[in-house]
Amino acid sequence: MNSGLKLVTLRQWSRHKLRLSLTVLGIALGVAVFFAVRTTNRTLVDSLNSTIEKLAGKATLQIAAGDEGFPVDVLKTVRATHGVELAEPVTETIANTVEPANEKLLILGLDVGSDLKLYSDLFEEGDMAIKNPLAFTSRADSIAVTRKFADRFSLKDGDTLRLQTLTGEKTFTVRGVFRSEGSGEIFDGNVAVMDIAAAQSAFGKTGKLDRIDVMNSADVPTDELAAGLRSQLPAGIKVVRPNLRGQALENAVSSMHFGLTIMSFLALTICIFIIFNSFSISLNQRWKEIGILRAIGVDRGGIMRMFLTEAVVLGVIGSLLGIAGGVGLARVAIIVVSRVTATFYGAITSGKAFSIDYVFALEAVGIGIATSILAAWLPARAASHLRPVLALTNIETRQKEYGLNKIRIIIGVGFVIAGLLLVRYSRAGIGMNIQMFYFVFVQFGMILLLPMFIRLGSKVLRPVLGKLFGIEGIIAVETMAAAPRRTVSTVGALMIGLSFVIAHAGFIQSQKAALDHSLDKTLGADFVLSSSNQLNARTYHFSEATAERLAALPEATATDVISVSAVELGGEEISLMSHKMDAYFTMSPDLLDYGDPAPARAAAVHGEGALISNNLSFRANLKLGDRIRIDSPTGTLELPIVGMFDYFRSEKGTIFIDRELYKKYWNDSRVDYVFLNVKPGTDRGVFKQKIQDTIVGEQAFVYTHEEFKAWASRLIDQFFALTYLQMVIAILVAAIGLVNTMVISVSERRRELGIFRAIGGLRRQVAKMVMLEAVAIGLIGLFTGVITGLFSAYFLVNTAAKVVAGFTINLVFPYSITLMSIPLVLAVAALSAFFPAFNAARIRIAEAIGYE
Amino acid sequence: MDRIIRFAGVTKRYETEDRVVAIDSVDLEISRGERVAIMGPSGSGKSTLLNLISGLDEPTSGTVFFEDRALSEMNDNELTLMRRKKIGLIFQTFNLLPTLTATENVSLPLRLDGMRRRTANARAVELLTRVGLNERLTHRPDELSGGERQRIAIARSLVFNPPVLLADEPTGNLDSHTGADIIELLDKLHDEFQTTVVLVTHNSSAAEHCERRFTMLDGKIVSSNE
Ligand SMILES: Nc1ncnc2c1ncn2[C@@H]1O[C@H](COP(=O)(O)OP(=O)(O)OP(=O)(O)O)[C@@H](O)[C@H]1O
Ligand SMILES: [Mg+2]
Repeated sequence: MNSGLKLVTLRQWSRHKLRLSLTVLGIALGVAVFFAVRTTNRTLVDSLNSTIEKLAGKATLQIAAGDEGFPVDVLKTVRATHGVELAEPVTETIANTVEPANEKLLILGLDVGSDLKLYSDLFEEGDMAIKNPLAFTSRADSIAVTRKFADRFSLKDGDTLRLQTLTGEKTFTVRGVFRSEGSGEIFDGNVAVMDIAAAQSAFGKTGKLDRIDVMNSADVPTDELAAGLRSQLPAGIKVVRPNLRGQALENAVSSMHFGLTIMSFLALTICIFIIFNSFSISLNQRWKEIGILRAIGVDRGGIMRMFLTEAVVLGVIGSLLGIAGGVGLARVAIIVVSRVTATFYGAITSGKAFSIDYVFALEAVGIGIATSILAAWLPARAASHLRPVLALTNIETRQKEYGLNKIRIIIGVGFVIAGLLLVRYSRAGIGMNIQMFYFVFVQFGMILLLPMFIRLGSKVLRPVLGKLFGIEGIIAVETMAAAPRRTVSTVGALMIGLSFVIAHAGFIQSQKAALDHSLDKTLGADFVLSSSNQLNARTYHFSEATAERLAALPEATATDVISVSAVELGGEEISLMSHKMDAYFTMSPDLLDYGDPAPARAAAVHGEGALISNNLSFRANLKLGDRIRIDSPTGTLELPIVGMFDYFRSEKGTIFIDRELYKKYWNDSRVDYVFLNVKPGTDRGVFKQKIQDTIVGEQAFVYTHEEFKAWASRLIDQFFALTYLQMVIAILVAAIGLVNTMVISVSERRRELGIFRAIGGLRRQVAKMVMLEAVAIGLIGLFTGVITGLFSAYFLVNTAAKVVAGFTINLVFPYSITLMSIPLVLAVAALSAFFPAFNAARIRIAEAIGYE
Repeated sequence: MDRIIRFAGVTKRYETEDRVVAIDSVDLEISRGERVAIMGPSGSGKSTLLNLISGLDEPTSGTVFFEDRALSEMNDNELTLMRRKKIGLIFQTFNLLPTLTATENVSLPLRLDGMRRRTANARAVELLTRVGLNERLTHRPDELSGGERQRIAIARSLVFNPPVLLADEPTGNLDSHTGADIIELLDKLHDEFQTTVVLVTHNSSAAEHCERRFTMLDGKIVSSNE
């Protein structure tokens, strides 16, 4: 840029510091969210992978069969397979600690008696401070913890540790400490090692393994060995490279990634509005100056470059600040995401903090600058096309801002309708990438319609605010309507931010309603006992004996015993629930959405049919009567589908089979849930206590039907914890847009406000006017935001839920959030207008109406 | 005669780098119904003088009295109400609100005072008719000529029938013919309402319409026709 123009720009900057700061803040926010989202996604995946890798030690292959493990005999088969150099048995248990309280400890059962070659980085000589390996293995209460864990709770050799086990609380003795590296690094150091035999008996895994870590011999390639092992083992037992296990987990968390990615684009869209707003305003502030520059010989290109250079410089500053903010935001997001991942997917992320990825950082800066240029483009073009004569003639002869454009309205309505029709009628299988465009269509159409909404809004608001607040209200509405460009961008930012909030509130509420409905049908039990208060109960299971004791209670009329595990179907991890089908059908007579209840019940009870969730039917294209093949550790099970119903436990789908069949094929009698029906007239409170007394020593969560529903609803809230964070950010970003507009509206209208004061407007009348303008903008933003939000919720319900998880849910209008957002928006509007209003009231009249 | 405006040793300094003395110990009295013309070169302090009368600016020292009340004793609300009801302001650049129509611009001060829209608009139409603009009631300022805009500004300044009219180069942005029309209009209004008029002008023929004429130079009143 030419040095003369640089001078002019710098002078402008020093006069409009506030506008600049707000613009930079806007860019910074967009970039921060974008950067944080990418970093969070990456950190999550990295951390899932590194957990897997670290747990695998030096193993090149892992043999596993899901949560319930597989028989220990498999080890013999593996060791006998040609090409196996080493094969180490492992059990993995996440145990709750009692003393120190409430920690989760990942307990690896390893064959400590062997030389643990696969884990040599963990137990390097001299580091694995097991003074006496013989004593360690010979005593069943021996445990080794990481240095980090030991330090945190000041544990020394010989100290004790109390853990929740299958047979109640048990005391263990620390007889070793190992490095907080490799496996010791995951889970924030909450890792312990026990001898495998002791671990098996303590955690109900006698005769079973969770994993075998295998290293191939030098002469047999890994793939060849994998193939060899697969041919030897039943289909339900998987042989994978450790990094592929990570892939499966990545797959599992894909819907979360999807949500995060939408968020980052949302932030950038709002960012575009803020920058566009800022530059339009800059244009409004400088139109006279630009006219003069043009008149004294600066060409169009010069003006354009002046604006765009400003955009680039602000983009760079904003992006750098954004990355700094993004790092902080990512830290918070990662904590939330890890918790969600652990609760819903049972996946443990290593506590390893993220590192700043320079490629991401550069990308974010690039995006920040590109966004700034994009958003500044139209104002820059408008500035360069300003007619110098207009700028030089009288002060009131402003270039007319664009009016209502019929074509624009027609196109806008067209886009909205097209988007909605596509959401409604297109096939779900078309793919998210294309379906995203439906959403973009609707948003784009709404943006095109903004001037119309503002026009309509001002028509409606003018008399209303006039009635309520007098002339100040009318002038406020008129000022708003008279500057459509400024108003459009603010209303736009508000609209997008609010629509995000409304859409997600609607989505969450719709899911809750669907879940509620589904639970009423699928969970007719009076009482629910759960071995965990989390969805994926990897930590702890009841024994079958416990279930039997409960069934024997005189009040119990029906008892369903359930265990939860997972199977692989078409490359995806499907949830597998085994029920006592007879009891299940008795408790939930209205269970099936599809299928004839009586024959379905008969088939299911006799282990001759499976029930599946509707979303599995949708995702895997399975219909009633189709046969599904389920791989178990002891062979493949083939069953016809006899019934289908809505069930929201897993996004990938759920299969229900009879418990006896499960026990036979999976060789697993552990229990995760017990459903109980009681005789009519039984006192709930008393019986609940009775259950507690019956199962004393077990870790159990006892819920009545209503309590369980409330718990499930809270679970949804937890799942959407991140969304709530996003909602806050969306409102914050929109508020910045509003502050930006109001500050600028005041500085731009200094002269007008000066005139207003000169002819007898009181200070409080000026302040009132400015506040009311913000309120008017807020109300129109709210209105358009609610409309767009409902459209977006419609999209999320019909497309996102359907495509990502195959869930069919009905849209529920989020009344409460919508009602709540009215005072919220009004408060945000009033708050963001407060200082501008204050400044407007203090304006120095003589200076403000001075000629220039 | 009844005194309406009085300056007692009024000085106005601007604390800029070169410390401008815009008004330099001025003593002045203006009577009710009088017409005063103020002339003088650019930068001599004419606009500053008007701003001090209307309370838009405060003197550095000395006191300005309006209807024998010192402006320095009034708070901002009182000053604003004084401007609203007792002083009509007319500027070289018209200073209309660009988003309001002619009627709305004129009725604005009435409505700020709480008058109902219908009544205020009726009064505005009456005044616009008087200044000859009854055909332009719903036009916005940018749809009108300079002369027409100044008529709106004059109509606005008269809505409360104020005792004082302060006009700062009202013809400065107009061609000489239109300017003469505006001065004639001010004459007519003066005859009708006996309004006190303080007219800042570069135009000596416009100044001829006033009984008293001052010339200012460097913040001082250096000559008068008395
Ligand atoms: N806000 C201000 N800050 C500093 N100096 C000012 C300010 N306003 C006016 N002045 C100075 O005060 C002096 C008188 O200004 P004023 O506007 O009263 O002159 P004027 O006689 O109206 O001139 P003109 O005929 O050009 O309108 C000038 O020298 C001007 O530079
Ligand atoms: Mg002047």
